[in-house]
Amino acid sequence: MKFNLFIGTAHEDEVTVYAKNHSRLVTEIQRLCEEDAIELIGTREYEKMQIVLSDTYCFTVEESRVYAITKSGKWQLKCRLYNLEESLPQSFVKINQSCIANIKMIHRFDTSLSGALAVRFKNGYCDYVSRRNLKTVKERLGL
Amino acid sequence: MKSYVKEFFKRGMAFGGFGPIIAGIVFFAVDCSLDNFSLSGGEVLTAIIFTYLLAFVQAGASVFNQIEHWPITKSLLFHFLTFYVAYIACYLANSWIPFDHTVVLIFTAIFAVGYFVIWFTVYFIARATGKKLNKAIKAGK
Repeated sequence: MKFNLFIGTAHEDEVTVYAKNHSRLVTEIQRLCEEDAIELIGTREYEKMQIVLSDTYCFTVEESRVYAITKSGKWQLKCRLYNLEESLPQSFVKINQSCIANIKMIHRFDTSLSGALAVRFKNGYCDYVSRRNLKTVKERLGL
Repeated sequence: MKSYVKEFFKRGMAFGGFGPIIAGIVFFAVDCSLDNFSLSGGEVLTAIIFTYLLAFVQAGASVFNQIEHWPITKSLLFHFLTFYVAYIACYLANSWIPFDHTVVLIFTAIFAVGYFVIWFTVYFIARATGKKLNKAIKAGK
């Protein structure tokens, strides 16, 4: 694939891809652009940090507060979960009413005794897939 | 552990109300099919209380399966026993089955078989789904 880069202030930041098919490279470029478009600031006590989506395991709600669980820990966000759901890229999927998971950060699915599916993330964090959201999760994983 | 107890009551309170509603529907169906069906005030009150408790326990007991540090057998045993105690108490208190050893034994056997058949079915369907999802995740890596 040819790559052209123009640095300057004459145009707005924009990425245009011409491709014969939707290859892995195209998907990756798309993902990077989508991630770049979302600016999330997480807070923790007196710290503030820009949330990097590719480092985020999931977004979760605890006691009405929205948190991002990332490689650098747990960060509180000011937005609502439903707003996040609308703006996040396709690699994120809502697994239950209070959790949006990063598919790329899922380690495996475990079956609980109740017949519910649990998502175990790469950092060991675990949450459940609700029956309501199972269909969407399957679709996102190409099933 | 405190959070699980809290979750038990939270789930119980959220779904407990469905018990008396279902009991009402069952009573309505029985009334439609029998000519001389009637309940006294006391019987109605007992049915409401016990079906509420039954639904409360049934909803709350789902939390046992989420206590990760419990082994599978312990979770399953607690889940089964909680269900069984709630059901047998409800059936006996409402006189839906007589207080007779043989009847209670038959009820227990049917309950245990029903419970484990349902459990195995649900568990293995979920496990199969889990395997498919895990394969999809591995394929995507």
